[in-house]
Amino acid sequence: MKKMLKYALISILFTPFMALAEVNVISWGGAYTESQKLGYGDPYQEMSGVTVNWIDYSGGLSEIRTQVESGTVTWNIVDIFAKDAITGCDEGLLVEFDFDVDFPAAPDGTPASEDFFTDMPSPCAVGNILYSWDYAYNTGVFYGEQPSTIADFFDTAKFPGKRAIYSSAMTNIEIAMVADGVKASAVYTVLENQTGALDRAIDKIEALCTDENGGCVFWSAGAQPPELLVSGEVVMATGWNGRFFNAEINEGSPIKQVWDGQVLDYEYFAMVAGSPNQDEAMAALAYMTSTEGLAGSAKYISYAPWRVSSLDIIEAGEPWYKDGTTNMLPHMPTSPANTENYILMNPDYWADNEVEIGEAWEAFKASL
Amino acid sequence: MVYCIKVDKILTTDGIPLEVSLRRVERKNKIKAFLLVSPLLVFLLFTYVWPIFNLLTRSVDNRLISELLPNTYISLQDWDGQELPSEEIYEIFYHDLYEAHKKKISGKVSTRLNYSKNGFKSLVNKTRRKLKKFEDENYKDQFIAIHKKWGDLEYWRAMKTALPKFSYDKYLNAVDLEQNFEGQIVQKPEKRRIHKMLWIRTFYVALGVTLSCFFLAYPIAHLLSTLPMRYSNLLMICVLLPFWTSLLVRTSSWMILLQQQGVVNDLLVFARIVDDKSRFELMYNMTGTFVAMTQILLPFMVLPLYSVMKTISPSLMRAGSSLGGTPFVSFRKIYFPLTLPGIGAGSLLVFILAIGYYITPALVGGASGTLISNRIAYHMKETLDWAMASAMGTMLLVSVLILYWLYNKILGIDNIKLG
Repeated sequence: MKKMLKYALISILFTPFMALAEVNVISWGGAYTESQKLGYGDPYQEMSGVTVNWIDYSGGLSEIRTQVESGTVTWNIVDIFAKDAITGCDEGLLVEFDFDVDFPAAPDGTPASEDFFTDMPSPCAVGNILYSWDYAYNTGVFYGEQPSTIADFFDTAKFPGKRAIYSSAMTNIEIAMVADGVKASAVYTVLENQTGALDRAIDKIEALCTDENGGCVFWSAGAQPPELLVSGEVVMATGWNGRFFNAEINEGSPIKQVWDGQVLDYEYFAMVAGSPNQDEAMAALAYMTSTEGLAGSAKYISYAPWRVSSLDIIEAGEPWYKDGTTNMLPHMPTSPANTENYILMNPDYWADNEVEIGEAWEAFKASL
Repeated sequence: MVYCIKVDKILTTDGIPLEVSLRRVERKNKIKAFLLVSPLLVFLLFTYVWPIFNLLTRSVDNRLISELLPNTYISLQDWDGQELPSEEIYEIFYHDLYEAHKKKISGKVSTRLNYSKNGFKSLVNKTRRKLKKFEDENYKDQFIAIHKKWGDLEYWRAMKTALPKFSYDKYLNAVDLEQNFEGQIVQKPEKRRIHKMLWIRTFYVALGVTLSCFFLAYPIAHLLSTLPMRYSNLLMICVLLPFWTSLLVRTSSWMILLQQQGVVNDLLVFARIVDDKSRFELMYNMTGTFVAMTQILLPFMVLPLYSVMKTISPSLMRAGSSLGGTPFVSFRKIYFPLTLPGIGAGSLLVFILAIGYYITPALVGGASGTLISNRIAYHMKETLDWAMASAMGTMLLVSVLILYWLYNKILGIDNIKLG
């Protein structure tokens, strides 16, 4: 009896090691993680038997750095900003990929490194989606003329009411410059070369926030902008286009997006160095960034897949959205109608200047 | 007459003096008690005190450059900073940087140097890619050819300031001061001064919340202590119920109540107190922070007050009025001084909690309601400047300890009654 008990106890200790391999994917939560889970997480789970866990975070490298420094890494795949991928790779926190070896080719044979829209900013990042920071307004607020340009976002005389903007400086500086008259394609050149350009952008935002007909609310979670619009707290809000799309089409909220002056940004996947189950995680990542994987997530949210070949699948299968009636391509940030006046996000600029701009930005926020 | 009788020292049965025997037994008991508690003490030291201490020492720990660029560290010590460094130093720096690049840790160098002077990150990154192609001579010219900033004295001076193994720069930064190259301590440029204002705002909010908690909690505690058991139990459940819900849920429900189209504003418009167009702005400013924090911290004030008030016999107030005092005089001279320990305990608790509050100001405070703890979180998460975050955390800890010491001096810790 005693022996049996002893063996039973020992075998209990070993059970965790016999469990199926798990891969932890860290993403931004809300409608976006939903789309990833349904688009490629669950299909992969069924295909391979590996459990895919979805964990939410709010950006930045702090958790990754803590894990790597302490030697206990639990995160495998992270959905990450370009500037964080660059910084993380430089600091040795992320795994470097060999693109044509690690990732599958497109169905027509194009190797992975050529099937992606543009080059990766860093060998540690593999392309995921193209998304946009645009703005939306509540359709029930204004009578007559509706906002249609980025300058309207800052125009409190024509469109009075509070606005919601991102709580960090990223993308706010760019749209302030464009609204102030700088050409969208020249924004970063002006920021880098003209002295006082940063102050000019921050002054424009300060004018918006201190205007008595205006005012700013700062959002930090992706789900906040649509919610702030619907609750009536603000009349216009910047945000991620997929979340607006989800609110508008999926939930029927009275909001409409304005694509003028959108900041087109890329989102990447990265793998944390020293993470457990690295082989299973690489296999999962290869599927998630494959042609069909990326096209799958576009079924649930209007973010453009990074692979060119995925777009062909979507186009062939229109209407692609999960409700079976909405065409996805017109809602994508990359569609021709939406890219008449857009700013292409420059992650190198932000990786280099983040700290200094952050200081000036926080000083501005603190003085409000 | 008084007789003094001389008595020899009292001995125990085995011939040892009583005092010695007593002392030995007491010491044995103390050791036994300590051994019983020691596992817990070791556990606390290992899992609580040591990690916190470790994190706090990060605020002065500046050894990164001396570890990653060891030879540059040594050679720059002698450089006076008046002109550009010599060719020799450029060569040593090149070798150090190349070593770091090979070990894939040059990113840490660029991040750390960027904290000292913005622009280093892009500078080091651009240089890194060209390191392999360096020739064996004229390092200085090659560096400057890659980017003219390598010929800028300010950058080398900034590198020199990043060298010392231990520095209190972060503490200066946390009060909006900085040390220029000559060693003088000057104020930061005006547009970059944030921290002093945040410190003052944090203390002011914490004080205000403590006061408003006090004014709200005193009547509640009094009611709870004077009602018959049946009703006071029920009311006590009402006071304690919020603890069963998560802090985030409570803060989010305040958001629903306080927002422009929220419940409070809607009621005011319905009662014709406010015009529909000019609703009160109760959220995303100090008002929101104040209101939400007061509600969340209220039970911490109610409970100590209640426990003290419970011990005050009602006959004391009756005695006061029988001696000719008006109710207010009896209250002022009898009741209030007796509740002082409870007030002290509750205020201390609420104040310490309020100083460190982070979630509530982040959600309902907007830009003008952020406190110093939000800034600490910002440095932990966004800039990854943990030295800065730890410096500010240490300052908070030290200020709380000073306040605790002051409180002890004025009121005395032994007078705290929590239950």
